[in-house]
Amino acid sequence: MSQHPRFHPLVPDSLIPGDWFPGRTPRNIVVGENCVIDSSFCFKHFFSTEPVGLRLGRDITLWRTSLAAEMHGVIEIGDGSYIANASLVCSVGITIGARVMIAGGVTIADADFHPLEPAARLADTIALSPRGDRTHRPGMQTAPVVIGDDVWIGWNATVLKGVHIGADVVIEPGSVVTRDVPVGTRVAGNPARPVAE
Amino acid sequence: MMPPRTHLDGDWFGRGIPGNVRLGSDVYLDSSYGFDGVSESMHGGVSIGDASGAYDRAAFVVGPRGQVAVGRYTVLNGCYLVCEDRITIGDHCLLAWGAVITDVWTGASSSDTRRAVLRDAARSDDRSLGAGDDARPVTIGDNVWIGFDSVVMPGTVIGRGAVVSSRSVVSGDIPAYSVVVGNPGRVIRTLDPDDTDVAQRQAFSEHLRPARG
Repeated sequence: MSQHPRFHPLVPDSLIPGDWFPGRTPRNIVVGENCVIDSSFCFKHFFSTEPVGLRLGRDITLWRTSLAAEMHGVIEIGDGSYIANASLVCSVGITIGARVMIAGGVTIADADFHPLEPAARLADTIALSPRGDRTHRPGMQTAPVVIGDDVWIGWNATVLKGVHIGADVVIEPGSVVTRDVPVGTRVAGNPARPVAE
Repeated sequence: MMPPRTHLDGDWFGRGIPGNVRLGSDVYLDSSYGFDGVSESMHGGVSIGDASGAYDRAAFVVGPRGQVAVGRYTVLNGCYLVCEDRITIGDHCLLAWGAVITDVWTGASSSDTRRAVLRDAARSDDRSLGAGDDARPVTIGDNVWIGFDSVVMPGTVIGRGAVVSSRSVVSGDIPAYSVVVGNPGRVIRTLDPDDTDVAQRQAFSEHLRPARG
């Protein structure tokens, strides 16, 4: 056993021993048995004020993963899932099933981040500015993302808002997933399309 | 016995570099943060040649039997190397931010494999994923440029002087001096192989800092 373990048990509302980042884990998270994390840096952009903003099953590994949740965002992750060096950007809901592997450089987002329309987008730049009121941003498109059990998401893939990914799916590295993916399929490309086995 | 961990001067990340990371002379490392994913095993490790550098978010995820060898004068600028077997990177290479070089699919082949890999990881202290499927070595020749956010897949062999454009996904054999773009990557042109020994000697004579007196 190393003197400085890479992983620590994830405990709500606590300091992580030897953490390089000066933060605490949030209070509004529910964590099953045997879940580990490397640093509270994963929660740097976790602003959920929901009663439970992050719900984890058991045996989950989180490494260098940005759990970025806005005020009403709720992230759920199922038993045994393993997420390394990825970003979950959540405005409403990101639900990840059991035994899902998410590789480095992956982004999963349930919102467009900003409005599409020029006037609303301009207003957003003001609301987001150092002089602005971040609590009253213009509305943007949001739609929950749901990922089934036993899914594999390869390096640098992107999963966009509203996408439902069925169980036993493989998202090949570098894919941009914009539409639902049926159970048991393998997709690749931008936009991602089914590939022959 | 494993050599002790090395600590860099002024490193903001306190854990230091594992003893199985071997550095040539004049190697630059931003921080030991990028080496936290290197398994402390005598059977594997990382070597970085003279005058190469690992900058910004460059990170190594190396399993207990993974061996990463990086040549001389190579720039690892925020790239991500995932190795369970062997990744070899030549001299004078440029690897940009977000580029992933991996010799494993770890779990991509079937949900049965994923279940087994994840079950074992959840029981291990270091949560190591292991190779899961067959790892296939990756070789990147000298003077290769890998653009940002690209993915170099297991088993890829890239010839000298080739360029992989940003956001490409490449696999298989990439001929020397070719320019590859897209997902999946396709060769769109071939460069003039003008990086001769003469050109290299001239580059060294013109571009090294003068020795201090």
